[in-house]
Amino acid sequence: MKNLLFVVGLLMCSPLFAQKTGSLTLQFHNKVGTEEVVLKDKQYTNALGESFNITFLQYYVSNLRLLRKDGSEYVVPQDESYFLIRQQHPESQKITLNNVPKGDYVGLSFVIGVDSLRSASEVSKRKGCLDVGGDGKDMYWAWNSGYIFVKMEGTSPQIPLTGNRKEPIFLYHIGLFGGMGDKKTLNNIKVASLNFGKEKVKIKADKNVALGITTDVSKLFTGTTNVSFAVNSTVMAGPYSAKIADNYASMFSYEGIQK
Amino acid sequence: MNTRITLVFSAFGFLLLSFCRNRQDELFTKPSHFPEPVYKFQENPLTPAGVALGKTLFYDALLSKDNTVSCGSCHQQSAGFTQHGHPLSHGINDLLTKRNSMPLFNLAWSTDFGWDGGVHHLDLFAISPLQNPAEMDESLPNVLEKLRYSKTYPALFEKAFGTDEINTERFLKALSQFMLTMVSANSRYDKWMRNEGGALTETEQEGLALVEQKCAPCHSGVLFSDFKYRNNGLPTAVNTDEGRYDITLHDEDRFKFKVPSLRNLAFTAPYMHDGRLGTLEQVLEHYSSGIEKSATVDPLLVKNGQKGIALTAEEKQKIIAFLQTLNDESFAKDPRFSESDAAPAPELAEFANTDWEKVDLRTDNPVIKSTLAKALSYYWGIKQGLLTDNGKESSRSAKLLLNLLENIDLSTAAPIQKAFYLKVYQDLGFDTEHVAETESVAHQRDHFGDLSKNLFRLIKSFKTNDKPLYYYTCPKAANGIGGFWLSEINDEKGNPFFGKNDKKCGQIVMTALE
Ligand code: HEC
Ligand code: HEC
Repeated sequence: MKNLLFVVGLLMCSPLFAQKTGSLTLQFHNKVGTEEVVLKDKQYTNALGESFNITFLQYYVSNLRLLRKDGSEYVVPQDESYFLIRQQHPESQKITLNNVPKGDYVGLSFVIGVDSLRSASEVSKRKGCLDVGGDGKDMYWAWNSGYIFVKMEGTSPQIPLTGNRKEPIFLYHIGLFGGMGDKKTLNNIKVASLNFGKEKVKIKADKNVALGITTDVSKLFTGTTNVSFAVNSTVMAGPYSAKIADNYASMFSYEGIQK
Repeated sequence: MNTRITLVFSAFGFLLLSFCRNRQDELFTKPSHFPEPVYKFQENPLTPAGVALGKTLFYDALLSKDNTVSCGSCHQQSAGFTQHGHPLSHGINDLLTKRNSMPLFNLAWSTDFGWDGGVHHLDLFAISPLQNPAEMDESLPNVLEKLRYSKTYPALFEKAFGTDEINTERFLKALSQFMLTMVSANSRYDKWMRNEGGALTETEQEGLALVEQKCAPCHSGVLFSDFKYRNNGLPTAVNTDEGRYDITLHDEDRFKFKVPSLRNLAFTAPYMHDGRLGTLEQVLEHYSSGIEKSATVDPLLVKNGQKGIALTAEEKQKIIAFLQTLNDESFAKDPRFSESDAAPAPELAEFANTDWEKVDLRTDNPVIKSTLAKALSYYWGIKQGLLTDNGKESSRSAKLLLNLLENIDLSTAAPIQKAFYLKVYQDLGFDTEHVAETESVAHQRDHFGDLSKNLFRLIKSFKTNDKPLYYYTCPKAANGIGGFWLSEINDEKGNPFFGKNDKKCGQIVMTALE
């Protein structure tokens, strides 16, 4: 009898709980400087004056946290906190966090890439965009078990055709999570922190708020190190990847609340 | 009452548990003289159906892009699951990989995998050969698609995992289940260690003492490896592979490789990460006089400025005598691991020659449809050449046909269709090439029969034609072996195998689209 009451109580309470949360949508806008990213057909110029186009662009966003004014945080549940933004799939550029507790938020932070714990986890934890036999298929190094955090490919006429190279392609596949246990490797995990400024973000029960975020992918090769396509056209799991990761750590900026 | 229920439940649970335990034990038993395995079995409990599925997958060439290479191609049981006689392993399209295939046994005791240890979980390893362009050149999503389309795999997955869903996790875990059962612990040395009888001779025991003294701590313990990465002084001019460095990017890891086991060496030659040493004598020669000094060479091998391990000829013989006691003959022959004992690879069995008439892969794919329609038009050109003894014409049409078949873009085709096309194309391309490269009608006729057969096979299986296509044979053709050709009319008079000397022996044996 007591049990029954408890169950009834639970059933009655649960909708009440649900009402205390709303949802937050993040719309990512991929850009080169101020221009929209258009695959293949659009030409851009980097800081060193080299022209280029982009043929492939994807990156992981994970471990999202929403910051309150008092410094406390709402941490998105781990298993729901992995997203792959894919240029070719517009629907992937819009991510929605459900069950966000109502309240005022002043900022947002997330990992650019995949945290080391999940990078080292067993296969049953690699679902959805982390499934290397599914959506994550282009974002994984099989020989060096680890996710590629940010992947950008394209062409630049400035790339010299030497050796086996038949096309002027650049490949930036940036990953490396620091290695397992005492076997340390390069750690290119970066955290992006965005401040919402004066305009607080109010999450209300059962309401959705959408925020715009700009991803300026030209930051991969602009910043502390201005990367030349001609000189460093292929950057993967080597030491130079750290420079690109340092650069792109600042590629996200907050646009504001979307109407 | 509550306590009684709890008791009953725990007894039941205990029964269940011990039942599971027994099943797991039958499939994997830790040899009594081995340390605890490091593989986390609780994350992937072995079951008979899971192991059987893993074995079928391991020996199925469907896992490669053109269905020619299986895991077993590079990991052969009789060679201690290495690739027999290949210094660098040999994969798809006759490409060589950059390293020597590794022996597969006692994998449950390894923490990381590959010569450079780049893969940190056994379950994650298979993705690497699968996707390497020089190994199997496939993609994991594609393999999963092929398995889902297969008539038999969904049922095998259901048996192993409860439902017929085929996903990354199940695929990888099944392969691991099979590989984990591959425990090698029945060499003479092992039996002697476990006091199961069979003594080691005095020479062998002296060899063991020498190994313990000179080859440990690297090749240490009953697994004969400390599972660390070390540079054992192999000259680097021969091969610029930097091993562990490629993973950690630490200078001190340049040219370091995983210390391999010393078990089963009789089966796994050639040795080292690039298979550069063919015999154990050469290996010992390397350790005593071939060590190259370098920034990362292991300090154990350069003591007091003295390079190498001091070994007399007699000591070398004793070491080799001992190493022979580490060969596990029963492992190399165990039917539980053998390819001949594996269930026939389901997908390929469906494509087998014997019942190819029954293959039904009908498709509306526009690329396949238009390619096969065009292929037929070139085919008529080849046939016309042979009917009129005009080798030039046949050759010209064959070149067009070859170019067409070779460059078909199958990216929109379903994996099963793709797989089938590639399988048939292996032969079709071969015969078409031969007809193209000569203008001698006699030589062209040697290949025309098989060319016709395989083109017919594609059209009949894909069912892309909207007019009936007749499959003729003439038993007298090809010196009495019989030759085949195609026609769109059902009372064809000519005979491409005899041209102007027509023998009037053609008869229809089959029709595509009645
Ligand atoms: C083309 C040949 C080839 C094929 C096909 C192949 N392998 Fe391998 N295998 C190798 C080579 C070479 C290595 C060593 C790799 C390295 O160090 O880079 C290896 C290493 C391994 C290892 C690591 C062993 C250890 O002790 O570290 C495992 C496990 C393995 N292979 C399993 C498989 C499985 C499962 C398949 C099928 C999905 C497969 N292999 C297909 C050549 C091959
Ligand atoms: C300093 C550590 C070290 C010592 C000491 C050492 N080895 Fe090795 N051994 C290795 C490493 C590392 C490799 C793999 C090297 C490679 O492939 O680049 C290896 C490879 C081998 C191989 C090849 C196995 C295979 O599967 O290809 C054999 C055989 C071998 N060692 C035997 C011996 C013997 C016998 C001794 C003692 C006389 C010995 N080693 C001493 C580190 C050592």
